[in-house]
Amino acid sequence: MIALEFPPINEILRWKDLFPTFNKIALIAVAAALIGTLIFLLAGSKDAKVAPKGIRNFAESIVEFIENGIIMQTMGREGLAWTPFLLSLFSFIYLCNVPGIIPFLQMPATARMALPLFLSLLVWVVFIVTGFKHQGLGYIKSSLFPPGVPKALYILVTPIEFISTFLVRPFSLTVRLFANMLAGHILLVTFGLLSEALFQAKGNPALIPVGVLPLFMLIFLTGFEVLVAFLQAYIFTILTAVYIGGAAHPEH
Amino acid sequence: MLTAVVIRSGEALRVHFVTSESDSGEHEMNPADCAFEPETYPPEGEAFTVEFCGTGPSPIIPEMKELAWGAGSFIVFALLMRFFLFPRLKKGMDSRYTSIREGHENADATRSSARSEVAQYEAALVAAKAEASKVIDAARATLEGERQTAITAANARIATEREAAMSAADAARTAGRSQVESAVVDVVNSAVEVATGKRPDGSAVSRAVAEAMSAGVR
Repeated sequence: MIALEFPPINEILRWKDLFPTFNKIALIAVAAALIGTLIFLLAGSKDAKVAPKGIRNFAESIVEFIENGIIMQTMGREGLAWTPFLLSLFSFIYLCNVPGIIPFLQMPATARMALPLFLSLLVWVVFIVTGFKHQGLGYIKSSLFPPGVPKALYILVTPIEFISTFLVRPFSLTVRLFANMLAGHILLVTFGLLSEALFQAKGNPALIPVGVLPLFMLIFLTGFEVLVAFLQAYIFTILTAVYIGGAAHPEH
Repeated sequence: MLTAVVIRSGEALRVHFVTSESDSGEHEMNPADCAFEPETYPPEGEAFTVEFCGTGPSPIIPEMKELAWGAGSFIVFALLMRFFLFPRLKKGMDSRYTSIREGHENADATRSSARSEVAQYEAALVAAKAEASKVIDAARATLEGERQTAITAANARIATEREAAMSAADAARTAGRSQVESAVVDVVNSAVEVATGKRPDGSAVSRAVAEAMSAGVR
């Protein structure tokens, strides 16, 4: 029998400040912005006339993925003006997610509430402003009183639409990203601790080889987290595009 | 409480600070070593232990410093992307796509021009073939006429030569027949003379031989 001592949640999520008001999450966020800037800066400095390769090819692939895979699917051609914003959002979230599997960092910055909350609130402000900009006060009408619904049903539908559009959207965006990344991080910690505990089991040496099993699981989950990091960035970005597209063109 | 442990090895002195154990057996520590701000402090005279360290705020509550750094980083990144990074990259992409599109259009134009040239060539080829066919037909007709003329002339010549040959043959046959007839008359006269001892009537023998020869020999 071994006793697995799981650390308090704060111990796996928080660190002492690297310097006052600057901790590891802040470091990852700043690094994500710097790395993103560096990638697109280097990509932009390569000769554009020849067939792209290396970092330029990588950056152009991301741009085309955002344009063709997200914007054209959700907003249509007129949504292409949103490419820089959605590209920043996708790159930044992905670069904040991916440190969850990078040795020594091993913490996705989005597994803390602050970043997902800020990004969701930003998206919330952006799609509401877009709605008012394109439809004026008609945005309220098109959001709260969807056409085609019998008038009597507006008593039910309007509060539901208000809650879902203006309250739940930022909340769901925040929680989806935060909870998925936090869950992944906790899973990695759990299997890491379990492997360590089994490899160091002193009471029963027969348990030591069993430690390979959670280690394999840890390796598998690390690979899976790469996918989750991409997927969560993609989901956040595509939902943002859907919200902005819906606010700009309610008929969509 | 921290205790200084001094170790002397040769000329050198090494000093370590270690936490001392309190009377209750728990390790004393410095409040600054806590991961989180201490929530309470021990009463005067009691040791500060790990239990007094704070557990930190709820992990769900956003921290202002993370919010500020994250927001600042993203806003700077998004602004750079909007005004500098993306336009630069997109400009290059667009110019390359434009040059590729122009290349395609040029290739299409060249292909169309080549196709029209091939069509012209094929039309010219058809006309040339028709002309050649006409020339060949005319030549064939001329040749046929000349052949017929030559054949007719040859046939006429052959007929003339055949008639001359036939006349010569008839003359030779007639001459041969009269020679044979006179020889047969001589033989018959001699034979009758030998048999009867008298010379027969020459005209009667000649008439009889002529009649026998006219009857033909089978």
